[in-house]
Amino acid sequence: MVSAGQMVNRLTPVLRRLKFLPLVGFVALAGCASNAPQDTWAPEGPNAQMIDDLQKPIFAVAGIVGLIVFGAIAFAMYKFRDRGQPIPEQTHGKPVLEITLTIIPALILTVIGVFTVRTVFDLAKTSDTEMVINVTGQQWWWEYDYPVQEELGITKPIITSGQLVFPVGTKVMLRQTSRDVIHSYWIPKLNGKRDAVPGRVHLNRLEADQPGIYAGQCTEFCGLSHANMRMEAVALSKEDFAKWVDQQLADYQAPAEGTLAKEGETVFLNQCVRCHQVNGLKRADGTPAIAAPDENVVSGAAPNLSKLMTRNTFAGAMFDLVTPECRADVWDASRETFGEKYLAGVSEECLNQTDLRSWLRNAPEMKPMYANPALLTSTGGKYRGMPYLALSENDIEKLVAYLLTLK
Amino acid sequence: MAETATHEHAAHHTSTGLSNNKLGMWLFLGSECLLFGGLISTYMLYRGRVGTGPTPSQVFDIPFTSVSSFVLLMSSLTMVLAVSAAHNKDDRATTLWLTITALLGATFVGGQVYEFTAMYNEGLGFSTSLFASSFYTLTGFHGVHVTVGIIMLMSLVGILNKSKVPGSRAETVEMIGLYWHFVDVVWIVIFTLIYLIPV
Amino acid sequence: MAIIERPSTTAPAVLPTVPSAAFGALKRPVTVSSGWRSWLFTVDHKKLGIMYGAVAMFFFIVGGLEAVLIRLQLAAPDGKVLNADLYNQMFTMHATTMVFLFVMPMASAFANYFLPLQIGARDVAFPRINAFGFWAFLFGGIFINMSWFLGGAADGGWFMYAPNSGPIYSPSHGVDFWALGLQITGIASLTGAVNLIVTVLNMRAPGMSLMRMPIFTWMITVVQFLLLFAMPVITVALFLLMFQRNFDATFFDVAAGADPLLWQHLFWIFGHPEVYILILPSFGIISEVLPVFSRKPLFGYPFVVFSGAAIGFVGWGVWAHHMFASGLGPVSVAVFSVATMAIAVPTGVKVVNWTMTIWGGKLSFPVAMKFALGLVILFTIGGLSGVTHSVAPSDTQQTDTYYIVAHFHYVLFGGAIFGLFSGFYYWWPKVFGKMLSERLGNWNFWLMVIGMNMTFAPMHILGLQGQPRRMYVWTEARAGEGFFNLGFWNLVASIGSLILAVGVLFFLINIFVTARKGKQAPADPWDARSLEWMTSNPPKEHNFDSIPTVGHLDEFFHRKYSESESGQLTQVKSGEEVILDLEKNADAHIHMPSPSYWPIVLALSLPVIAFGLIYSIPVAMVGGAIALLGCYGWALEPSTATDDEIDPPSSGQGKEMVHVG
Repeated sequence: MVSAGQMVNRLTPVLRRLKFLPLVGFVALAGCASNAPQDTWAPEGPNAQMIDDLQKPIFAVAGIVGLIVFGAIAFAMYKFRDRGQPIPEQTHGKPVLEITLTIIPALILTVIGVFTVRTVFDLAKTSDTEMVINVTGQQWWWEYDYPVQEELGITKPIITSGQLVFPVGTKVMLRQTSRDVIHSYWIPKLNGKRDAVPGRVHLNRLEADQPGIYAGQCTEFCGLSHANMRMEAVALSKEDFAKWVDQQLADYQAPAEGTLAKEGETVFLNQCVRCHQVNGLKRADGTPAIAAPDENVVSGAAPNLSKLMTRNTFAGAMFDLVTPECRADVWDASRETFGEKYLAGVSEECLNQTDLRSWLRNAPEMKPMYANPALLTSTGGKYRGMPYLALSENDIEKLVAYLLTLK
Repeated sequence: MAETATHEHAAHHTSTGLSNNKLGMWLFLGSECLLFGGLISTYMLYRGRVGTGPTPSQVFDIPFTSVSSFVLLMSSLTMVLAVSAAHNKDDRATTLWLTITALLGATFVGGQVYEFTAMYNEGLGFSTSLFASSFYTLTGFHGVHVTVGIIMLMSLVGILNKSKVPGSRAETVEMIGLYWHFVDVVWIVIFTLIYLIPV
Repeated sequence: MAIIERPSTTAPAVLPTVPSAAFGALKRPVTVSSGWRSWLFTVDHKKLGIMYGAVAMFFFIVGGLEAVLIRLQLAAPDGKVLNADLYNQMFTMHATTMVFLFVMPMASAFANYFLPLQIGARDVAFPRINAFGFWAFLFGGIFINMSWFLGGAADGGWFMYAPNSGPIYSPSHGVDFWALGLQITGIASLTGAVNLIVTVLNMRAPGMSLMRMPIFTWMITVVQFLLLFAMPVITVALFLLMFQRNFDATFFDVAAGADPLLWQHLFWIFGHPEVYILILPSFGIISEVLPVFSRKPLFGYPFVVFSGAAIGFVGWGVWAHHMFASGLGPVSVAVFSVATMAIAVPTGVKVVNWTMTIWGGKLSFPVAMKFALGLVILFTIGGLSGVTHSVAPSDTQQTDTYYIVAHFHYVLFGGAIFGLFSGFYYWWPKVFGKMLSERLGNWNFWLMVIGMNMTFAPMHILGLQGQPRRMYVWTEARAGEGFFNLGFWNLVASIGSLILAVGVLFFLINIFVTARKGKQAPADPWDARSLEWMTSNPPKEHNFDSIPTVGHLDEFFHRKYSESESGQLTQVKSGEEVILDLEKNADAHIHMPSPSYWPIVLALSLPVIAFGLIYSIPVAMVGGAIALLGCYGWALEPSTATDDEIDPPSSGQGKEMVHVG
């Protein structure tokens, strides 16, 4: 007697081999090419691999069933076309045939069902977690909050946004929630998507085999700028990740007196700190500057800019913080050099001045957001997204100089 | 071909033997089950979520509601009597029992209005908490159903008094009776779930 | 006998009928056969069917133009045709229009027109409720679309997930118009469901047992049961949403502790049966068309009936497969995943039966048959891609991407809409007495096939390459470079949508040309099989001169042909002769319901109430007063027009064409 579980185990390699069967039409072609950064058929981590092992044979089975059905219909259309033959016998059906043709698909689906259920539970496993990151969605960006995890060197909480940084070969558990509407976290090469629902915490496994940047996108419609709510997951080798943690935990370095950046710090304190926190930033009188985004935006949060220049993106990963050349340099880097290049952060030469300045000049023009005062009556005057700040060109110059120091 | 002018004959001609009107009413009530099912599910999900507002046990006056529930149940009995009077073609008794049914229903609705007012005064507004919103919505929907029933009963009484209605009267009374019993049965479910089962 | 009485009592108000003498002030309109009055106050199921069809066609064009705008926006990266706000309104209204204002009412059009004819009845059980349903649908549809001109349409997607649909996140009145408008069309669907179920159960011709009913009638009946139980669920959800937005209720207010998943469950408990509500009528249509043009009965009729019913039942247990990514937990996901696979079985049975129906037949391929075969093939593609995301883990990669958009457009466009078009070509001569042009029809069909596949097939690639749906722009940065880059395939899809639009335009041209100089249809143009063809084209107002007694499934066919012992078929009568036989035995007195003023009055009160709920409560009270007036007028109006004696059967000639578009 073979138990069902053993059956499944024996069948798995068979099904794995099935996926190498020539697939049908475009489905097959789409499978061979893996050129879009969000390709769902190009797993690069064990969770996505698990899904892929399950889905490829099913695509193959679906394709084969489709071919049989279309073949039968095409044959019948040709063979039984009206060629003056007499009206056929008025048969009302053959129950045996009917039942057979009901049972066959039922059996195929039963097999698929067994594998499906197994994978569902495998993907929901939480007992093997090695690292936790809190992921919070809001209109229209993600916040990544690393709770203290001494064994990973995270001795103080790290709060960042734009890019999710994590070590390779580590079973990361994302604890997802939202501060306003439902969003969905999805890095196709690493795992399927999982919604971030306000008032609930949903768990999502993430693990990458190799260092690199993995693209993703919010996939639950979340309002005006849903299309612009992107994410990037950055996998670093364990050593590089430790360096990254040190980078994030480094103390605030105030710009030197008399520099343009120092003037920028003043502008920041006057304008930006209403919503954006920079850890360690102090006011002229020496008191810590604490941001109060809850008074100004509906979600009650704005990206923490403490180490802005260690990221490659800004504005919900809608824009690159680095020029296209510098970005290509990082994205296309070999696995060995990737970590080093990423950890170098944004230099002055690499800074994407155009987009950053336009953003500071008039953010709502760059990204659709609710910043029109006429539309804020239902929210008591709170914005959704970054408002127009009427900064002078001079102030922008200073701010850019200041932001460049945030490493 | 028989030329049938009155409704009661038509009832005999249907494929199922049930009259169209009665079958239609049954289907409508089947649909209503899902309506109340949705509202009751919402209430069951949210009944414990009171936030900073009053809890169910603080605002419910179970003895009072039990009495008004009893009144509503009694109206089902009088409705049965009205239907049976209508079948016996006893106009006076039909009118009488219909009126009493409507009055009992009105008593229930009055009790509900009183209950809502009292709760509101104790600080349970419509938007106070999830419990408040779902409680008022569920019981409110039921109250509206009872009110519609009362309007139908009173209209029926008015029409019966004004003219001799041939034939179809008994069936009309019976249909409104079906609706009325349904509304009562729904109340038994609501009363049990809201008031009798502790959160 | 199933003679139709003048309607006596009616369900919504459930008030008794009284003789006209008692309430002389209320008169019933006189039956007229032409002019605007003949449409405005009609209770004739055929006229209402035509009006349903015309209005649904209008909304099809509206929804289609919305779709074209969407595709123009997405043809290239960073599209500039629409801004984000307008795009979000556009895709919300495209789905809402196509689902609630086109496919559902178009199925109602077919159901209204043909269901009584197919069961040998002279009208539906409640003709005035039928008229009310149509007007409520029309006013509801107009009401929803008025939001375009009053500050913007709904922008939360047709699924309208909370809390994004709340007053904070959707400050315009669009969602209010959407929610209340759908309530109004929901009332129409519900009354229609009660009406048609009673009609099917109670008004069948003698001998027409349930298992002798034409398959289209069967599928429509299953759909009406689905509507009967699905509409109240969405009604509850819409009420909660409306109370939240307009009366500060807390149902979806997360700060108060609400669970946003409540909306999703309510929506999809309605929403999944809704999918079958959309597709089953078309299954019914092609299950009529395939046998006629194969000259064979439907293969495995009982299997098709029971698989339809099985889909109807199992359809209630699969709603959460729309929520595999929303964090239900592995047990629910596994259960719903398996249940979803289970529903693939009865659906597969249908495809098998259609294939076996044409197998061994004597096939001819007029446009109606082409559309029917198109459905079988395109729906199978959609069904198979459906199997790939019944597998929950695989669905977490696919859901909310263009792969899903591809899937449901194959099912709904290739399935539902191709079925409706098959019905247009098949039944047009029945309804209007003229044959639609086959030449224009072929243009119509092939352009639609090419356009549909060019639009939706590339979306499989787009989705598997990771392009999410509901994005007002896509970006080069995520497009990739090779053969499967998003740019090329988005462009192909956009061009395809234009071809598709031209294909539909050919249908409109066909209607127009046919109306002007179409060929007069013979009595039995297709050598058809079922009861609706046993009467003139178009049918007389009372449908049948005498109600036929039914002895077989495919009664009409069996009256035309006799079968020898060896199965050899010989034609014993032509269709015309069968119809003449019925005319010879015409019933002496046929009562048809008189028109009525009240359905339209009562229906008109609904948008007034809805307006009031959005803008000012006193207006709602005026609407309520109109509704009350409507109910009383309805209940108290006499059962016939005073001066309208029993109609001699009129020939039904000179019926006006309804132009659409």
